[in-house]
Amino acid sequence: MATSSSSNLAKEEQKLALKLLIPAFLILVIIALYPLGQVFYTSFTNREFASATETEFVGLDNYQALLSITIRELPPVIDEETGEQAVDEESGEVVFERPIRVLPRDPHLYRPSFEFSFFGNKYVVGARTPDFIRAVWNTLVFTFFSVFFETLFGLVVALVVNSEFKGRGAMRAVMLVPWAVITVVSARMWEWMFEPTRAGLFNMLGDRFGLIDGSYSFLSNASLQLPAIIAVDVWKTTPFMALLILAGLQMIPNELYEAARVDGASKIRQFFNITLPLLKPSLAVALIFRTLDALRVFDVFQVMLSQKRYSMASFNYFQLISARQMGMASAIGVIIFIIIFAFAILYMKSLGVDTE
Amino acid sequence: MRKNLVLVIALVFVIAFSGIVLAQEEEISLTVAGGAVGQEKELTEKAAEMYMEDNPNVTVEVLETPDLANDRLGLYLQFLEAESPEVDVYQVDVIWPGDLGEHFIDFYDYGAEEVVDKHFQAIVENNTTTDGRLVSMPWFTDAGLLYYRTDLLEKYDREVPETWDELEETARYIMEEERAAGNEDFYGYVWQGDAYEGLTCDALEWIYSNGGGKIVSTDQEITINNEKAIEIIDQAAGWVGDISPTGVTGMGEEDARAMFEAGNALFMRNWPYAYALASQEDKPTAGNFDVSPLPAGDSGSSAATLGGWNLSVSKYSEHPEAAAKLAMFLAGEEVQKMRAVEGSFNPTIRSLYEDEDVLEAVPFFGSLYDVFTSAVARPSTQTAPQYNQVSELFFQAVHSVLTGESDAQSAIEYLELDLMDTTGFETGEPTQP
Amino acid sequence: MTRKQKEKLRKVLFYFVLALIVIYLLFPFYWAIASSLKSEAQLNMTPATLIPRDPDTGEISIFTRNYRAVFANGGFIRGLVNSTIVATSTTILALLTGSFAAFALGKLRFKGKAPALYVILAMTMFPQVTVLSGLYAVINALNLSARVSMIFTYLLFTLPFTTWVLTSFFRDLPIEIMQSAQVDGATPFQTFHMILLPLTAPALVTTGLLSFIQAWNEYLFALTFTSIDPSARTVPVAIQFFSGEFARQEPFGEIMAAAVLVTVPIVVLVLIFQKRIVAGLTAGAVKG
Repeated sequence: MATSSSSNLAKEEQKLALKLLIPAFLILVIIALYPLGQVFYTSFTNREFASATETEFVGLDNYQALLSITIRELPPVIDEETGEQAVDEESGEVVFERPIRVLPRDPHLYRPSFEFSFFGNKYVVGARTPDFIRAVWNTLVFTFFSVFFETLFGLVVALVVNSEFKGRGAMRAVMLVPWAVITVVSARMWEWMFEPTRAGLFNMLGDRFGLIDGSYSFLSNASLQLPAIIAVDVWKTTPFMALLILAGLQMIPNELYEAARVDGASKIRQFFNITLPLLKPSLAVALIFRTLDALRVFDVFQVMLSQKRYSMASFNYFQLISARQMGMASAIGVIIFIIIFAFAILYMKSLGVDTE
Repeated sequence: MRKNLVLVIALVFVIAFSGIVLAQEEEISLTVAGGAVGQEKELTEKAAEMYMEDNPNVTVEVLETPDLANDRLGLYLQFLEAESPEVDVYQVDVIWPGDLGEHFIDFYDYGAEEVVDKHFQAIVENNTTTDGRLVSMPWFTDAGLLYYRTDLLEKYDREVPETWDELEETARYIMEEERAAGNEDFYGYVWQGDAYEGLTCDALEWIYSNGGGKIVSTDQEITINNEKAIEIIDQAAGWVGDISPTGVTGMGEEDARAMFEAGNALFMRNWPYAYALASQEDKPTAGNFDVSPLPAGDSGSSAATLGGWNLSVSKYSEHPEAAAKLAMFLAGEEVQKMRAVEGSFNPTIRSLYEDEDVLEAVPFFGSLYDVFTSAVARPSTQTAPQYNQVSELFFQAVHSVLTGESDAQSAIEYLELDLMDTTGFETGEPTQP
Repeated sequence: MTRKQKEKLRKVLFYFVLALIVIYLLFPFYWAIASSLKSEAQLNMTPATLIPRDPDTGEISIFTRNYRAVFANGGFIRGLVNSTIVATSTTILALLTGSFAAFALGKLRFKGKAPALYVILAMTMFPQVTVLSGLYAVINALNLSARVSMIFTYLLFTLPFTTWVLTSFFRDLPIEIMQSAQVDGATPFQTFHMILLPLTAPALVTTGLLSFIQAWNEYLFALTFTSIDPSARTVPVAIQFFSGEFARQEPFGEIMAAAVLVTVPIVVLVLIFQKRIVAGLTAGAVKG
């Protein structure tokens, strides 16, 4: 009797679960199935966007074109007269052969994506689509730093807002302002703040405090582009993290803290022993969605760096809209998809969130 | 006799029916996708009204599209991919006719033969695909100009520069003097150095004016890898951080205009639109500047890149004939004159540059007639449908030289290889008049 | 150091951190407000001023024409209405379907939970631009109006978000609550409706607010789907359609004015809902 009722209950639960999932999956099938399937399929073709050109199935060609890299050593240039290694007169450094003489051209042209030195030898990494290889790198660096700082700042903001003080309600609204500013517009606003003349905020301030000369160009200086973009994104999305963490904090029962207080545990111990472990599941979800958004980052790159430096998604955009290589663009989409999937699983496993 | 009777009756029938058909002319509704910019849209709507007055059976609607060229192109591609009949007439950038040509009708099929000679030769050539179809009617044109501060040239007793070397020399001298006089934000020359289509325009002007050809020649040869081109790109790279701010490698039209209008630049390369804006009363430049052709390089003559917009009719339109008629009306003399007088849009019809009303409204049209007629088209038609990729490779290469990431020679060598890879064309020597 | 002094120091430190946070979060927004009150000549002047000043005299001079221009632009007001309709509908739909699914995924026992979770997440793993043309085809095939297509396509990113966040919250709720409810004879649906939903109010409000804002800010889909129906344009698109008198001129001041105006309703919305964010699990609510 007892077992049959519990198995009945289990069956009922299963039935209910399916019923509850129907609406979500119905939407998924109607809205997402075709576009997603189409992206996968197109990634194996050479389809051109808005073109009457016949589309052919090309297998993994797009993926090969995007991901093929090769590493070649750059031999030092030998001075013909002296027979010794040529040395640059100005800098006094050894001159190496230019990548164009070293990288393969047939059957495909490899272009240099970056160079590095290792034990005094110089190497070049060539790629068939160096812009994409760089875009992947840019996106990963961007994701790592922005998600890290957003989580950190988000946690601080959430903890502060969670404590008792006057004007807490107003603070909760203030906290969300950056997230509420329309993304496209906020990118424009920051771009204007980074303007390479003293009409821009940072050059004006830097000049006033004697740090820089007032015509510093943040967005066309290769070493400052990523930090600038990361700063913008951290400002914009810290509220997202903070609010999710705040909600997570609310779900921690107060009794736990009371018990700890009775035991005489310090605030810091309470944080590490209670808050952090119990926050893990909400943190995991927040991290997944932040990482997912960061890996697909588009607006800030598109507005502020445009074609100077790509993220994976902005490279994708230009492949589709200006190059009209729909097959290639779809392959990029699939690669982004796979990277995001890997991150999602990694988070779930490493933060010990049980899905079953 | 009977036969004749049948014939007569048949004839009567035909006439009667065609009469009915004529009387009940089909109601046609056409949509023009065009610019959203305030005045531009108003003038397009006004032109549409003019057309509807003459053709009461046609309703013309103007659909505003985003001002950002990439957004607009993305939208058009979406329509064309879906073969959408929603838009009949597209306003297309001067670099698009080649790329999008397969979706547009040939105006020669609709009697463009008669009017085409009135328009600028260069634009008509640009709008004609390699297989000889005229897919776009010229609507208004644009060309790069040199803006200069009349007050400062006068103050330091200098002439308007006619060569790049002169520009460099004058800019450096006045910049040093002005800085010594206390304006620490002052620079000699601002232009469009960001990695985008605008840099393609600027760099093409340098190269062409120096006798270095136009990247890909009209007969589909890649001509970019030549001494003249490398030399002038090197020279331009030398401006960065000298007469131009280092930040110029991140500047577009609007950034350059902001600097010039704040009184912080002696020279500026920009399109004609900045003329009216820099003349606004509350700005330091008002009354203190003028425009001239851009300086020349070794070729001895100046070059201005061709800009502007054209009108194309979609193949997927339900009424291609009516749409073609409308497009030709909009691109015709009457409308172009109205737009020139009321909105300073540069006509593409030669005779309008001698028209008194036009010259009264926009005086510099007359003095810069040569600049507009001899503007150099970007190689968009000969590289179609890959122009955007070609342009991107080109401006990326030039940009890497400007920022010092790469030297001009390597960048151009790679560019040549890349262009061969992308287009499949052979290399050749630049030929220039 | 006495206990009192320590307490005082702690307070000072706390308010210092609080002030830092407020400045960090609000200063860029203040800069947008300042820019929205400048004319083009004032924006271009060097060095930039913290308060709008006259370029010649250096005196404070506020320029209000940007705001007047925004209000005179019919597209902006219409955009506000459209954005409200679209973002509200999407959020409600996402919360409804999301909380159903999340209840099943977080609290019920059945096979294939993990795959279901990942499949739902997969909806949002492509960059928007990649799925755009496929979506456009679906919308044309279903012949949806512009507003409806935005409401549905926004589920692509709001639904996975609400489902995942709510799942994690439902999972955390003590199982005892459900068991005691079942003992009391409540059906699973009643348990869900009467007990779980109120308990998870903070999670619902939080995800609701975040999805609402995400939908409110969306640009690329809106631009494409409203292209032939200008009357359905949402605020981000309407702002992007702001234009100067001449082609190429960007009315930066007006764009900033619009951005400031658009942020106000959101702040009001948060002020209304903010109490809910923290009114979650109270000690008394947990039975047993």
